[in-house]
Amino acid sequence: MSYVLAKSKDSAIHEAGECGGAVTSIFKYLLDEGIVDGVIALRPGDDIYDGIPTLITDSEDLISTAGSYHCAPTMIGDIIQKYFIDKKVAFTVKPCDIRSVDELIKRHKIDPDNIYTIGLNCGGTVSPVTGRKMIELFYDVNPDDVVSEEIDKGQFIIELADGTEKGVKIHELEHEGFGRRTNCQRCDVKIPRKANIACGNWGSEDGWTFIEINDEKGQELISGAKSAGLIETKNPSEQAIEARLKVEGIMIKMAKKVQAAKFGDAGNMDAWNRCIGCYACRDICPICWCYKNCELNKSYFKDENNIPPSPIAFQGVRLSHMSFSCCDCGQCDDVCPMDIPVSLIFDKLQKKYCERTGYVAGVSDDIKPPLYSPEKTEL
Amino acid sequence: MFEIKHTLCPSCSVGCGINVILDSEEIVGTFPYKRHPINEGKNCSNGRSSIDIFEEKLAFDSKVLDDAIGKLKSCSNEKVTVIFSGSCSNEDLEAIKSLCESKGFNILAYDNDLRNFDSVASYDEVENASTLFVIGNILYENPLIGRRIVRAKENGAKVFVNDDLENSPTANIADEFTSVSVKEFLDANDINEDSIIVFNKVDSFEDLDLIESAGSKILPVYSKSNSKGALSLVEAASKEDVLELLKNTDVLLVFNDDVVNDINFDFKSISQIIAFSPSKNDTTELASFVIPVKSWLEYDGSFTNAEGLTQEFKAAFESDNMSVVDVIEKINGELE
Amino acid sequence: MISNLHYIVQKKPSYRGDLMSDDIKIVALLCNWCCYGGADTAGTARMQYPPNVRIIRVMCSGRINPSMIFKAFQEGADGVFVGGCHIGDCHYDAGNYKWSRRAKIVQDIIEEFGIEKDRFRHEWISASEGEKFQKTMEEFHKTLSKLGPLELK
Repeated sequence: MSYVLAKSKDSAIHEAGECGGAVTSIFKYLLDEGIVDGVIALRPGDDIYDGIPTLITDSEDLISTAGSYHCAPTMIGDIIQKYFIDKKVAFTVKPCDIRSVDELIKRHKIDPDNIYTIGLNCGGTVSPVTGRKMIELFYDVNPDDVVSEEIDKGQFIIELADGTEKGVKIHELEHEGFGRRTNCQRCDVKIPRKANIACGNWGSEDGWTFIEINDEKGQELISGAKSAGLIETKNPSEQAIEARLKVEGIMIKMAKKVQAAKFGDAGNMDAWNRCIGCYACRDICPICWCYKNCELNKSYFKDENNIPPSPIAFQGVRLSHMSFSCCDCGQCDDVCPMDIPVSLIFDKLQKKYCERTGYVAGVSDDIKPPLYSPEKTEL
Repeated sequence: MFEIKHTLCPSCSVGCGINVILDSEEIVGTFPYKRHPINEGKNCSNGRSSIDIFEEKLAFDSKVLDDAIGKLKSCSNEKVTVIFSGSCSNEDLEAIKSLCESKGFNILAYDNDLRNFDSVASYDEVENASTLFVIGNILYENPLIGRRIVRAKENGAKVFVNDDLENSPTANIADEFTSVSVKEFLDANDINEDSIIVFNKVDSFEDLDLIESAGSKILPVYSKSNSKGALSLVEAASKEDVLELLKNTDVLLVFNDDVVNDINFDFKSISQIIAFSPSKNDTTELASFVIPVKSWLEYDGSFTNAEGLTQEFKAAFESDNMSVVDVIEKINGELE
Repeated sequence: MISNLHYIVQKKPSYRGDLMSDDIKIVALLCNWCCYGGADTAGTARMQYPPNVRIIRVMCSGRINPSMIFKAFQEGADGVFVGGCHIGDCHYDAGNYKWSRRAKIVQDIIEEFGIEKDRFRHEWISASEGEKFQKTMEEFHKTLSKLGPLELK
């Protein structure tokens, strides 16, 4: 593991990128050298609140994916697993993305040799519709006028076309029910260290991307892109490294506080009584990959006449299948038509499991979750 | 090539957005459209499975279309009935309507005994209402309006539910639950201009007048994506009138709908059914002529949702099938 | 097997004449090689244990999924018992280790859905330990009687 500061040597990419454009340049390197068949990154659809995972095969198109989108809570794990199983691809990952990818690798659903993962440090994401409402209410700005947003120093900051910035404390927003998605508020994995490299602006200088190189493949990416003349690099100062770790530490501390405050609610949640049994939570879950073979589809559990389903025979079964691998991506919350905070109980049980075994889903180096281990040990 | 494209959900009148995943020009899955203001990426199982129509495709045969048109020619126009379906886009409906008017065909619009109302409550109004009267299992059948009811409740609204299912999600969130007739439900409660009646079914066509005159805002939720658009162009028929008209029909034209599944009638008694449909369904099984047409994923158009918002959708992929508009143009040309 | 849980739980205790006044239902999943033998030993020695226990024989405790436990509770069991071989004695080498790990998950999950953790119990009982089986069942029945019938959310 080592640190490096990098920035793009291409002025257009440097300008379009969030902080130095190193990520886009590394993708350019991978595509131009033919190391990967394609790159999957977010591109704005309707507007900047509508980040859509897009496959790029021509490096000329990469510029449209430069920059980061905090109001685009997407998930890449299941996309890779379903549609890119036998293709060589590179893609950006938030911590929850790489955690799901890691869990899928443990389940032999993704071939680690086929993928290059560019990690993005993540302070959390905001749901697009909530984000727009929040910008209207708290910033008194038309959300369509915002050109970019970022989360920095405890604030959610928006930038307008004329370059002016406006920030509101995240704490304040979240107190009013806005701000980051609730699972992000609880999330205590902020740097995707299982990705080949982890990039971000924490601790970096203006115009540079701070990169943590996590493995050999990551090292190759940096040296390759550098020798191809696409990026320039320099070593970060000790203070920069410390400053970055400090940001991470503060964020984790905040997350733990939220966990302590919220986990109690999971046990006496009466929201299950409005569950319509639509299986959206299961179908979107990146860890649940059985699809039609899901045990919940078996005749002894499938009961279309009794809606809402009994929580123990619906979520209970899912929990027993994969809660220990829950990466708290919050997709299940996002897609629940009934607004049931599904992820809370999954996240809580993964933390409980972690207390018993030390296994953090998608972060620990175990070859498989201890529950599957053939070892002759009791928990 | 892998691509994610925006479209609308065709499975009920709520008007949710949904993304479809294309892999080499083929629809392979759905993806949440979180930017969509109506549903924020949430889709019910009907919405997510709406793309399954491509599992059973119909093959086009130009002879079948010619034969069907021949049949239309040989039949007297007053014995022809056209289903004016909420599954068609506004553009399709305009074309169907003008065909019927110029040829004197009977036109049949229906949606579960509901009709169009000029003034309806918006979803945001439902979410911010202080009192909600809910008729039907809305949470289960129209979950993304159900969600607005849930949110209203969380904001402190009082929710009265009338439905025949006692332990349904809708019943479970009710402050007061009853299982009586619509008339009794309306009579028993103090309904005023601050409340909203949300309903997706009634006991009879007459109930609609009772609901309209109850003095509150109303939101009828239809079962098809563009029923609001259809019923605002052509007045809805009551169940009795539907059956009466079907009895006097020799040739039934069905555009993009499954009328056999919707209406309890002996469709075998109709001598010819001509079905224009993107996929197999009960109607195409029974029809004498089946002509495949484009699904909503293959053409540009618009749907008007339950709250009266007209939303456009774009073709997700190209196909060689004829659209409903193409078919009608052809019929028009041949029948000149 | 799991599809039959409904029948097993719903059926009335078939104990001769002397029906228990309470209606506690216990589903016991017993490993073929040890605990089922233990129950058999208890039976042949005419050791009395509560008739509320409905036994399901499985080949190994390692074969039991958490979903079976949940299904039993959903179908109306007031308590679920799992009996396996003593650690080290598994007929299939390590099935009981696997079960022991799964049991922890089951405990964690049922608590979240308002099922008291005492309603679920597992124990290692060998084929010769008829008395241990009897005692365990009596204890378990007592615990469940105190808790009363399970009211699932």
